[in-house]
Amino acid sequence: MEQMKPILSVAQLEKSFGGVQAVRGAEFEVLEGSITALIGPNGAGKSTVVNLIAGALRPDAGQVHFRGVDITGYKPHQVAGHGLIRTFQISREYPAMTVLENLMVSPLGQTGEHLFSALFRRGHYKSEEREFVEKAIAILDEFGLYGMRNEYARNLSGGQKRLLELARAVMADPKMLILDEPMAGINPALISRIGEHMLRLKEDNGYTFLMVEHNLDVVERVCDHVVVLAVGRTLAQGTMSELRQDAEVVSAYLTGGSVGAGTKG
Amino acid sequence: MHLFLLTLGFGIVTAAVLSLASVGLSLQFGVTNYVNFAYGAYLAVGMYMTYTCMTAFHLPFLIGAVIGILTAGIVAVIVDILVLERFVKRGTSGFFLLIVTFGLQLILLNLAQAIWGVGFDRYPIAQGKPLTIGPFSVTVAQLEVVGVAIIALVAVHLLLTKSRLGKAMRAMSDNKMLAQASGIDINATTLWTWFFTGCLAGLGGIALALNTVEFQVFTGNSFLFVIFAAVILGGIGKIYGAMLGALIIGLVVGLSSLVISSAYNVDVAFAVLVIVLLIRPQGIFAIAGKA
Amino acid sequence: MAILIGYLATLGVYFCIYNIFAIGLNIQFGYAGILDFTVITFMAIGAYMAGVGSLGPAQPGTEIYYILGLSLPWPLALILGAVSAGVLGYLIGLIALRRLRSDYLAIVTLAAGSIIYGLVGNNTKIFDGYEGLVGVPQPFNGVLNLSPNTYDLVFMIFAAVIMLLLWVLANRLYKSPLGRAMRATREDLDVAEAFGKNTYRIRMMAMVIGAVFVGIGGVLTIWFITALAPAGWGTSETFVVWAALIVGGMGNNKGAVIGSFLVAVLFNEATRFLPSINGLPSLIPEIRNICIGALVILTLRFRPQGVFPERKAKFFELPLTGRGREREHEVVVTGAEE
Repeated sequence: MEQMKPILSVAQLEKSFGGVQAVRGAEFEVLEGSITALIGPNGAGKSTVVNLIAGALRPDAGQVHFRGVDITGYKPHQVAGHGLIRTFQISREYPAMTVLENLMVSPLGQTGEHLFSALFRRGHYKSEEREFVEKAIAILDEFGLYGMRNEYARNLSGGQKRLLELARAVMADPKMLILDEPMAGINPALISRIGEHMLRLKEDNGYTFLMVEHNLDVVERVCDHVVVLAVGRTLAQGTMSELRQDAEVVSAYLTGGSVGAGTKG
Repeated sequence: MHLFLLTLGFGIVTAAVLSLASVGLSLQFGVTNYVNFAYGAYLAVGMYMTYTCMTAFHLPFLIGAVIGILTAGIVAVIVDILVLERFVKRGTSGFFLLIVTFGLQLILLNLAQAIWGVGFDRYPIAQGKPLTIGPFSVTVAQLEVVGVAIIALVAVHLLLTKSRLGKAMRAMSDNKMLAQASGIDINATTLWTWFFTGCLAGLGGIALALNTVEFQVFTGNSFLFVIFAAVILGGIGKIYGAMLGALIIGLVVGLSSLVISSAYNVDVAFAVLVIVLLIRPQGIFAIAGKA
Repeated sequence: MAILIGYLATLGVYFCIYNIFAIGLNIQFGYAGILDFTVITFMAIGAYMAGVGSLGPAQPGTEIYYILGLSLPWPLALILGAVSAGVLGYLIGLIALRRLRSDYLAIVTLAAGSIIYGLVGNNTKIFDGYEGLVGVPQPFNGVLNLSPNTYDLVFMIFAAVIMLLLWVLANRLYKSPLGRAMRATREDLDVAEAFGKNTYRIRMMAMVIGAVFVGIGGVLTIWFITALAPAGWGTSETFVVWAALIVGGMGNNKGAVIGSFLVAVLFNEATRFLPSINGLPSLIPEIRNICIGALVILTLRFRPQGVFPERKAKFFELPLTGRGREREHEVVVTGAEE
C-alpha cells in the first residue's frame, strides 16, 4: 500500500495554554490516499493537534501544509474551504434541522449563500439545489439513513448520529477527512460498519483520512499508517505491527495507561 | 496633581462599591454558569429595604442595612427556587436562560418601582462635611463604604477558603460535574450561592446609594454594565479577578472624569469592556483555552 | 364610526410595525441565534435618521436642535433610516459577533443599547436630547389633504404593503441556502465553521438584515406618530419584541405575526388606553411590563416552541431509483443498532 506524496504535513507544531505546553514539536505526514491513525495516551495532545491543523486553535510555532499550501493560522472555514474537513469528538449534529438538511448545509460555496441570489434571484440556485438534494439522498442511502431523512437530527440514536457525521462530511466533497474518535461509544457492529465506509471512501473516492482513535484493534484493521504522540511530541511512526515491536511505544502506552482499550475489543 | 489625587480618591470609593457587587455577580456566574441580568434588581432591593426600614419604621441605619442585605439575599433565593431552578433542571440551554433572566429583570425592576415609586430618594442621615485627609476629600459615608467593602471582601475570602460551603462553591465553579461526583450537594450549594451573592448585591446597592446620595429604583440597573465590565475583566467566576477588575474599572471611571464629564461613566466602563472583549475575552486572570 | 375606523387603523399600523420588528428579530435570533437585547435601538436610529431626513433644518432660536434636517422626500428618508440602522447593526456586530460566548454577546448588545440611549438623551445637539424629535412630516399627507382618520387608514395600507414586502423577503431568506447556513450557525457555530461556512460573515449578515428590518419599522413609527423621544425606546420596549417572537414561535415568521398580534397589539397597545389610576401614573405601564416578562417566562416554561413552532424544511425530491435497495439497508441498520 505504499502510496504517492504527502497530502498533509505537520512540522514542529507547538502550543501552550497558560504556561502548560500541550504540543511541543509534533511532526508527521499523512500520505495521499492513506488512512492514518493518530494515537497516544490521554493528554498526549492529539485533540490539540487536530484543532491546530483544522484552524480551531492557532499554533505558537510550526507549520501545517495541506496539498502544498501553507494553511498555518487559517481560520477553520478557510481550512475547510481547501477540502480538509474535520469531525468532532462528540457527535455534533445540527439538532433542530432534519437529517437531509444537515447534509444540505455541507456543500462548499453554494450559489444560494450569496445574499443577492438568496433574496432576489432564486432561479439562480434552484438547479444547483436540486443536484444537492439528489446527491444528499444518494449519500443518505449509502449510509442507511434514507428512511430518517425527514427526522430531526436530535432524534437519531447515538450510532445514527455517528453515521450522520460521516455522511455530512462526505457531502462536502472533501479531499481529506480528520475524524476525532469516530468510534467512541458505539457498538462493535457499527464500528465495523464505519470502518467499511472509510475503506470504501478511500478506494472509490480517493479520500485520505487522519483518525484519532483509542481502539488499537480498529487501528490495526483500518489504518495503513500510525503516528504515535506522547507529551506533545511525535514518538514513533509506522504500521501497527511495526509499532508493536517498539519498546518505547509500548512503555509510553503502559505508563499512559490506556493500552487496555486495544487488547480488549 | 492635586486634582488627580482628588479624583483618585473618588475612584477608590467607586471601586469599593463596585467590588461588592462584582464579587457577588462573579461568584454567582461562576457557580451557576449563566449571567443573571436581573442582578441590578437585587441592588435595588437592598437599597430600598434599608430606605423603608429607616423612613417607615424609623430604625437606625445599621439595622435597616442588615435587613436590606438579608432581604436581597432572600429575594435571590426565592427567584431561584420559583423560576430559575425550574429551567436549569430541565436542561434549558444558555440562550433561553438569558432570556429568562432578562424577563426577570423587567419583572423585578417594575415590581420594585411599583412599590417604591419612580422618584429620587435619599437616606435620612446627615451627609457630614467632606473630610480632608491629605490630598483626598471624602465624606464619612464614603469612608465607611471603603471600610465596609474591605471587611466584606476579607469575609468573602475567608468564606471561600476556610468554610466547607466556600470550598463547595469553588469546586462547582471549576467543574460542576466533578463537584457532583465528589459528593458535593449541588442543590444546597446553589441555594447558598444565591443567598450570599444576593446579600452582596444588597450590600453593593446600599453602598451605591451612600456613594451617589440620591438614588432611584433603576440606579442599580444602570450600574450593571460597570459591574459586568469588572467581572469580565477579572475573568468570570474568578473572585479575586473580580476584585481587581473592580479596582481597575473604578479607578479608570474615576480618573476619566478628569477628561470627560462624569455623565459618561457608564460609557467609559463600556469602552473598557469592549477593549477587554476584543483583546482578551477570557479576562486578565483566566487561563486561555477555557474561555 | 370614523373614530372607530381611526382607532382600528391605529391598531392595524401598530400590528404591522411590531410585525416588522418581530421578523427583524427573528432573522437575528430565530435564524442565526444572535441574542440581540437591544432590538429597539435599531428602531430608534431608523426612526431618528428618517426624522431628521424628512424634517427641515433646525431653526435657530427655537431651542430645538437636531442634526441634518434635509427635507428629503419620503422614499429617501426611508432609505436613510434603513441604512443607518444597518450601519449601527454592523458596528455592534463588529464587537458582539467575534465568536464570543452567547452571554457576552447579550451583554454587549444590551450595553451598547444603553450607551446609545445615554448619548442620544444627554446630547441635545443630535436629536434634541430627552425632548426628542417632534412634528416629523408624514408621507403623502401634504399631497392628499385627508382627514386624520382617513389618513390613518391610508397609512395602515402603506405599512401593510411594506410589511408584506419584508415578510416575503424574510421567507425567501429562510428557505435559501443562506438561511440554512444561518440556522446551521445557530445550531452549532463550531461545526458550521468546520464545514467551511464563514460564520462571522453569515451572522453579520443576519445582524445587519435584522437591523435594517427593525429600522424600517422605526421609520414607519416616527412617520405615524410624528415624534419620538428616548422615553419611547427603553429596555422594556425591546422586551415587547422578544415577547412577540417567543410567544409566536421563533424561527417561524408566522409565529412573528401571531405573536405581534397577541403581545404587541392586544396586550401592549390596548392596555395603553386604560385610564390611569389617580396619583400613580406609572402603575399601568409597570403592570404591563411585569405581565410581559411573566408571559415570556411562562411561555418558555410550558410551550418553548411558541404558538407556531419552527417547521421542518421540505425539499423537492425526485423518486429515488435505489429505493428498493434502501429497504435492505434499513434492515441492516436496525439490525446493527439494537
